[in-house]
Amino acid sequence: MKKIRIAIPNKGRIKQPTIDALAGAGITILEEERNYVSKTSDPRFEAIFARANDIPVYVHYGAVDLGITGHDLILEREADVLELLDLEYGKATLVVAVPEKSPINAVNDVPALTRVATEFPNITRKYFEKQGKQVEVLEVSGTAELAPKLGLSQIIVDITSSGETLRKNRLRVIGTILDSTCRLACNKIAYRTFEKEISELQSKLQGGA
Amino acid sequence: MTAPVARIVTTRMQSAPEPIRLFYINNVFRYSQSYLKREREFCQAGVELVGCNTSEADGEILALLTSSLKQVGLNDVRIDLGHASLLKDLLNAAGLDEQQKVAIQGLLACRDAVGLKKFMEQNSFPSNLRDAFLELSGCRRLNEVSSVSLGGSKYDEVNKQLESLNELQETLKAYKVDDLVFFDFSLTKKIEYYTGIVFEASVPNLGLPIGSGGRYDSFIEKFGKLRLPATGFALEIGKLLQALTAQGFEIPSNTETRVIVSSKFRSVAVEAVKTLREAGVIASLEITRRSLEKTVDYGKITEADYVVSVDSSLKSPVTVYDIKSASSQKVTFKTFLSDIGGQP
Repeated sequence: MKKIRIAIPNKGRIKQPTIDALAGAGITILEEERNYVSKTSDPRFEAIFARANDIPVYVHYGAVDLGITGHDLILEREADVLELLDLEYGKATLVVAVPEKSPINAVNDVPALTRVATEFPNITRKYFEKQGKQVEVLEVSGTAELAPKLGLSQIIVDITSSGETLRKNRLRVIGTILDSTCRLACNKIAYRTFEKEISELQSKLQGGA
Repeated sequence: MTAPVARIVTTRMQSAPEPIRLFYINNVFRYSQSYLKREREFCQAGVELVGCNTSEADGEILALLTSSLKQVGLNDVRIDLGHASLLKDLLNAAGLDEQQKVAIQGLLACRDAVGLKKFMEQNSFPSNLRDAFLELSGCRRLNEVSSVSLGGSKYDEVNKQLESLNELQETLKAYKVDDLVFFDFSLTKKIEYYTGIVFEASVPNLGLPIGSGGRYDSFIEKFGKLRLPATGFALEIGKLLQALTAQGFEIPSNTETRVIVSSKFRSVAVEAVKTLREAGVIASLEITRRSLEKTVDYGKITEADYVVSVDSSLKSPVTVYDIKSASSQKVTFKTFLSDIGGQP
């Protein structure tokens, strides 16, 4: 029988908690992650190591059946997937931040055509549209906190868990867009095909969480 | 394509006897801001059954959907079906405000059972409604749905919808497709538009639905005075091809014989091509005046089977160059024609 593929982040702060959560649910990764595809202790499942922000797309198209990744990334990639379980770790908040000395004190004060640097262009665009603010969204693929320092943008939208990076870079939060945690995401068709196995995993993960 | 069909039904088919059965195969244009679902033009094949709201009408549409997919050559087809009014009536009976409705629909659509339970606790759902939501989330067959029942006249509409699903199951049995149709309470998309059953067709090999549809009894009236119930489905041709490919279906290779006729004698060449075509062979004339060697090269690239060089008369032997075996022989035109199976 075809194995059920579950994508897990190949690096970053949600990688280890994900491996631990799966091990707690009886799926221990048996091989080194540099293989991309790893056997697990449960012969019905195989693990795929992928970038956390690509996992929603893999799941959407059914390239993998399941994936564990952040709710923020699922929204950013606009993936139409099932979010079977809130795993409650990987807590983070997507915030709007400005340099400490900025005259902008609230999202409402953001002048038209302000440049916003972010790794989350889709969520950012939608958020400011909803606020009725016309801004220029600059997509960066990392270290958005650098953008105001270099004069690239006046504002950033970035993910923060402890607030440490923001403080270090003398940035001040002026708005919260969303709170995120890790989710067990599932392809809609795969759920139908493997419902028994997937709901078993769902309840085991819930027991461990 | 449902909107254009609704418009045509309202404006051009006012006197058509009901029920009206329509089909279309057409390119559809959608504006999508999402960068994941980028397709803005795609081909749909669909049907609409207008002017009837019985379970026989829904059954006919579902049976047609399964047989269409089988006819195309797909295996392991399944249909998952929810009910828009059932969900709407339940949400109304629960007395939720708009924001809460959006929240609970999101949880249902995600199949987040833990989140759903939490939500219902936080919003102090009455226990019978709570059980109904959980039970319906667990139902996979249409006949299981009828075991859910809610007492009280407040739930009359809900119970009516539940009963209609049971009736539909009986209709599907008559078509012998009841084993292919599953209940899916999490199908909550577009429930503003649909009024009855809403469904998706899929195969295990492809991660996206290959077709979808449902009942829309209050849509056609938006185009005019006619209030007509209707039901239908649309298949996405591109997805069907992907699904077929994923199931290992191979497009049959071309079995027709293709011949290029080359000659210094124009009228004989034209006659040869004409004779070949009349015999059911795909023939083309070498018109560039290039050498036989170059014509053979051209034939290789365009996947022709033979290049035939004819002399001053079709009665004289012709040189047949077989491109696959890279060999040539001199035979009469008649022999060549019968060798390649041309119908004289």
